[in-house]
Amino acid sequence: MDYALQQFLNAASFGAEYALIALGLAIVFSLMGLVNFAHGEIIAIASYAAFFLILVGIDNPAVVALVAIAASVLGAILFERVAFRPVRHAPVATGLLTAFGVSIVVQNAFLLFVSPRPRPLPVFGGLNRTVELGGLKVQLLQLLEIGVTLAAISALLVFLRRSTLGLAMRAAARDFNTVRLMGLRANRVIATAFAISGLLAGIAAVFIVARRGSIEPDMGFMPVLKAFVACVIGGFGSLGGAVLGGFVLGFVEVGILLVLPQSMGGLKDAVVFSLIALLLVARPQGILGSRVELGDKER
Amino acid sequence: MTRLLALDGWRRSVIGGLIAALPVVGVCVLVLLFAPAYVERLAYAGLVAIVVVAGLQVFTGNALIVNFGHTVWVALGAYFVAILTTPPAMKALIIPDAPWGLATLQLHPLPAVVIALFAVLALATLTGLVISRVSGIGADILTLCLQIIVHSVLIHWTDLFKGNTAFFGVPQFMTLPWALLIVTVVLVLARLFRDSPWGVQLRASSENLLAARSMGVNVARRRLAAWVLGALISATAGMMYVFFIGTISAKSFYFSYVFLTIAMLILGGMRTVSGVVVGTAIIQIGIELIRMLENGPVMLGLQLPQMFGLSGLVLGVVIVLCMVLRPSGVMGTREFDDLLRMWLARRPGRNGDRP
Repeated sequence: MDYALQQFLNAASFGAEYALIALGLAIVFSLMGLVNFAHGEIIAIASYAAFFLILVGIDNPAVVALVAIAASVLGAILFERVAFRPVRHAPVATGLLTAFGVSIVVQNAFLLFVSPRPRPLPVFGGLNRTVELGGLKVQLLQLLEIGVTLAAISALLVFLRRSTLGLAMRAAARDFNTVRLMGLRANRVIATAFAISGLLAGIAAVFIVARRGSIEPDMGFMPVLKAFVACVIGGFGSLGGAVLGGFVLGFVEVGILLVLPQSMGGLKDAVVFSLIALLLVARPQGILGSRVELGDKER
Repeated sequence: MTRLLALDGWRRSVIGGLIAALPVVGVCVLVLLFAPAYVERLAYAGLVAIVVVAGLQVFTGNALIVNFGHTVWVALGAYFVAILTTPPAMKALIIPDAPWGLATLQLHPLPAVVIALFAVLALATLTGLVISRVSGIGADILTLCLQIIVHSVLIHWTDLFKGNTAFFGVPQFMTLPWALLIVTVVLVLARLFRDSPWGVQLRASSENLLAARSMGVNVARRRLAAWVLGALISATAGMMYVFFIGTISAKSFYFSYVFLTIAMLILGGMRTVSGVVVGTAIIQIGIELIRMLENGPVMLGLQLPQMFGLSGLVLGVVIVLCMVLRPSGVMGTREFDDLLRMWLARRPGRNGDRP
């Protein structure tokens, strides 16, 4: 029972991490069709902001976490302003490759100005302790990760349903021109979307740094790759799909690690991605995506 | 010259491919005649890159599906010939437990290359049948899945691929002139495919899938053809690489190499074969120059600091600028011979009947 619960929490916390990042990707994609591969660098920016804060002598974990999240929000808005605004109306492939360019620039900037090697960053190490909860031993980090993710998703839902800007974002995902005709600025709607995606990535970055205890220039690459896959599993552009896909991926990964014999552990990624490929072939539109016939205007 | 350019049909494609290869041949002849040995090695690396990017262009450029999996074929091509041609004495050190008696087998490079190409053909057809059915981002992600799956198999199957460490001891017999011949053939092939009815249908389907389908184009089949041809070309690049260097490791074909070659393709312009040459040349030469800076050279009596990451930084900036300023790449949709033809037509005194 204890073991099963531990594995469940393990899977759910991985799923929560993927869901947070995937949600950020999906928000941006649903609005402007941009596949934002530079999302991983937002995570790196948050982590390096924390690193610099420690360097100047501020080491209160709460302050560091808040500043890191603020840095990632700013970073996301900056990316939009500098790189993605000029290619807003370009085809998907152009946006995708621009995002690659941004990602390469930021990674190499950290490599050049900080260090190509991983640097230790134990500031959030305090989260890696075990707590008793009703007689069960659980990891504080995992509990926090699941709890914060659920809270963030709920807050996002309230924002999207209750605020004007949120309504505008939901509407813009369907028909941006009409939203603009209603007198809302496209720039503001898109900047908000990037800010939200940065916020979610910043939260995820705190957990990622807490788990690995170090930073390096390409640390955002694998999480974002997984988040992408989560988006595609759920149905690209669908926010619910991103969350669902994140959790599905978390559970599949942990499940496969349990099922695979020890000697085959290295093949985990191969098995996970084979399953995903199978799913994509069977349902190219993802779990929650609806099948769009070519030429359909409505999604 | 004018008469050659006026040719039509497949002859026009062959001439076009040869014209695209001409600057490469010119540079390499100069290198062979005058340059020191290390420049020759750099030129060889450039030729390999051209073949890799040409393989990528055949699929991505015609189908407009970003392919994150093309280096899989480079790696497999290299590994297959390495396993088949390395002397058994060497294999006893590297892969003594290889399955199917491969540890004691040694083939002449020629049959090894043929067998490896057939193996790649089989694998590419198998994967292509799956990938060609999916459109849009789903297809991009499938190629990404392929990359991760094959990479983790290469790393994990140590009995056959030596895993995380380098595979060494492969016979080295390739030379620059032979590589030049391969580059020329590959560029002509890529151009022939681009201009063939299948290539035109595929390009049409990438611009408007619905229209192409309603005209009776079997899009999945055309994508499959491009996928397989691209894979074979990429595998050839892998063989060129390993028969020159003599050693391979799976890591060197992973994502950083994928992004580098994709950057070469988009900078040159993914729609054209000439763009392959232009993009590869700019980035390959640019990066070599910046690498000299990275190592902290002495310049005008000043010792410059080491700056690792500078080449990547510049590469990223080039990609972003290129996407913002010229999203279709340097060449756009025009090949070298198209430009030449336009220039000839515009020259005064050529068209006497014009007012």
